[in-house]
Amino acid sequence: MNLSLHPLILLLIFPGGLFLMNIGLLYEWIDRKLVARYQNRVGPRWFQPLADTIKLLAKEEIIPQGVHKGLFLALPVIAITGALTAAVYVPLFGFRAVYSFEGDLIVVLYLLSMMTLCIGLAGANTLSRFTIVGATRALTQMFSYEAPFLLALLGPAMAAGSWNIGKITAYASNNLWLILAQPIGFVVALVGLMGKLELPPFDAPEAETEIVAGALTEYSGRGLALFRIGKNVEFVVGITLVVLFYLGGIANPIEFILKTAGLLIVITALQSLFARLRIDQTVGLWWRLGALMALLQLLAIIIGKYLGEFLR
Amino acid sequence: MTDSPREKFIVPIGPQHPALKEPGNFEFTVDGEIVTDAAVRLGFVHRGIEKACETRNYTQDLYLLERVCGICSHIHATAFVLGVEKLAGVQAPPRAEAIRVLAAELERIHSHFLWLGVAAHEAGFDTLFMYTWRDREVVMDLLESLSGSRVHYSVNVLGGVKIDLSQKISDQIKKEMDFLEERTHYYMKVVTTDDTFIGRTRGIGKLSKERAELLGGVGPTVRASGVKRDVRVIAPYSGYKDFSIQVITDDEGDLEARFVVRIKELLEAYRFIRVVLDQLPPGELTTRIKRKIPEGEVISRVEAPRGELFYFIQSNGTEMPARVKVRTPSLCNWGTITDVAVGHKLADMPMLLVGIDPCFSCNDRMVEIKSQSTPSHIMSWESLRKYGIEYYK
Repeated sequence: MNLSLHPLILLLIFPGGLFLMNIGLLYEWIDRKLVARYQNRVGPRWFQPLADTIKLLAKEEIIPQGVHKGLFLALPVIAITGALTAAVYVPLFGFRAVYSFEGDLIVVLYLLSMMTLCIGLAGANTLSRFTIVGATRALTQMFSYEAPFLLALLGPAMAAGSWNIGKITAYASNNLWLILAQPIGFVVALVGLMGKLELPPFDAPEAETEIVAGALTEYSGRGLALFRIGKNVEFVVGITLVVLFYLGGIANPIEFILKTAGLLIVITALQSLFARLRIDQTVGLWWRLGALMALLQLLAIIIGKYLGEFLR
Repeated sequence: MTDSPREKFIVPIGPQHPALKEPGNFEFTVDGEIVTDAAVRLGFVHRGIEKACETRNYTQDLYLLERVCGICSHIHATAFVLGVEKLAGVQAPPRAEAIRVLAAELERIHSHFLWLGVAAHEAGFDTLFMYTWRDREVVMDLLESLSGSRVHYSVNVLGGVKIDLSQKISDQIKKEMDFLEERTHYYMKVVTTDDTFIGRTRGIGKLSKERAELLGGVGPTVRASGVKRDVRVIAPYSGYKDFSIQVITDDEGDLEARFVVRIKELLEAYRFIRVVLDQLPPGELTTRIKRKIPEGEVISRVEAPRGELFYFIQSNGTEMPARVKVRTPSLCNWGTITDVAVGHKLADMPMLLVGIDPCFSCNDRMVEIKSQSTPSHIMSWESLRKYGIEYYK
């Protein structure tokens, strides 16, 4: 589907910008509610994430001693900008991407990594010992999941023969769902997304029983709210990417809701199934298993492609 | 990078920290993620209960001591009444003794379930945390229907107990024990087969039998290292003289073994409770005891959910004790943490801390250090109050 709206509206209000942020809050709520139900809890009411955000935005932002003030204030903004900019290149809710060019997949992946980089920098910027440990862990985790995640999204790109998200989506929706053609890639992408979003069991960078809130321990008020909104946006964009590539693309908003909700149920179930992995276990899992699996999948795709051409 | 000796990077856990439900301070020196040194600092919640005991009579002390701990309240009262009864030369009736140990085992069940949940939470396994605490409600409700209160059951009085078991409650307890037994078998399966959970517990914090004995640890913590130390068996008291209980030990000594030992203790508690309910002796609930306790000293030892609880009571022949000394099991077990912490990852520390099932406010005591260089001075209540007001002005 295509939208004929003013580009600024597309960017700032719908489907990007404001609408995306609200969808992010909705997804956060669904995530929290489902995890709560899996754990036999009641869970928050639907407006809880919104209320949290408004409360945080209204609160005083405390700038701790010994930080680089400019950096401390700029990092949340950069993080949310990165996530929102990534959304520009992704066809959200079944509408065509606001802007696209050949190779935008790589740009989106890098923009999505901005969040983790900003969190790492934010942690290293403050003097608190919890934030420094949290920052180290966040960056360590990034180096472990990033490559397998990239490889997992590379699979569909190779199958489609393009680096353009729109083209890959078109390929994915016209062919057999890639979850069936490339099951290993799907698993790696899904788990990689959970690592990227620091969801349990990959929440060692913000393990509350060890290092309080990890790298963001010193953040309060506006900065924290921006980080949270950014993370929610990243959540939506990440889920959308996986659905686009592996679950046969998104043709209209209803399809978007159904497919992402299905994926969300799987993600929340995975969140409540496992104990938290230690950071060394996370790294070990990704490099020993994740990277290997992604490479295997890649190899299978290459061989499949050659065989296909050979047989033809 | 300079060539100067590397500064120590210390990660403080506490006094205020999400991992701790009570204030305590643990300083872990880390090199990257590896812990190279550990130190414990206690004393943030000293409440002066021992001193307060000296200004109240024995009956009042019973209620005060029950509030030493919010989890093992009954066992504190039991230790105290057993000591006082020994001093007074009074023996509680057999039915009362049976009810005492019955309540003690119910308390052990709820304490172990609580621990299971807290330990799972420290490992980031919140699902297990929520499930165990949900099932803990069953035994909390039982205690409520038994005594009228969920936390401080006040089962004991000097010379007996004040609650009786009706057939209806007895049947209800048996029914709930069946339910809990089924759940406990499930949790046993989870903690011994779940891969991510085993990754956080197996081989972590291994405490050898020799070290456990040397450090003088008590309770499930050292029983997981193969030390057969259980007051209920080595020096039976109260109802444990009539009803025998099994010591559960494990040889591994790691965190997983502590899970296994505590869960097996739960299963043993169910069996014990069923036996007590079936063979509950008939008769009186209390015997008379004089308000004034004869002069003398006594040591009373009982097995709290966390290990051996030690009471020393000194009487001077009046209505009030001259001295009550409480040594809670947590105090004996701190050494086991600092002993095994070095070489582990920082991420293992909260689990190691919780592995002994610590109870901070119960074990905090005041220590007066007499030093030549800095003379100590005693403050009166008035001057202390004034100092406090000035300090926070």
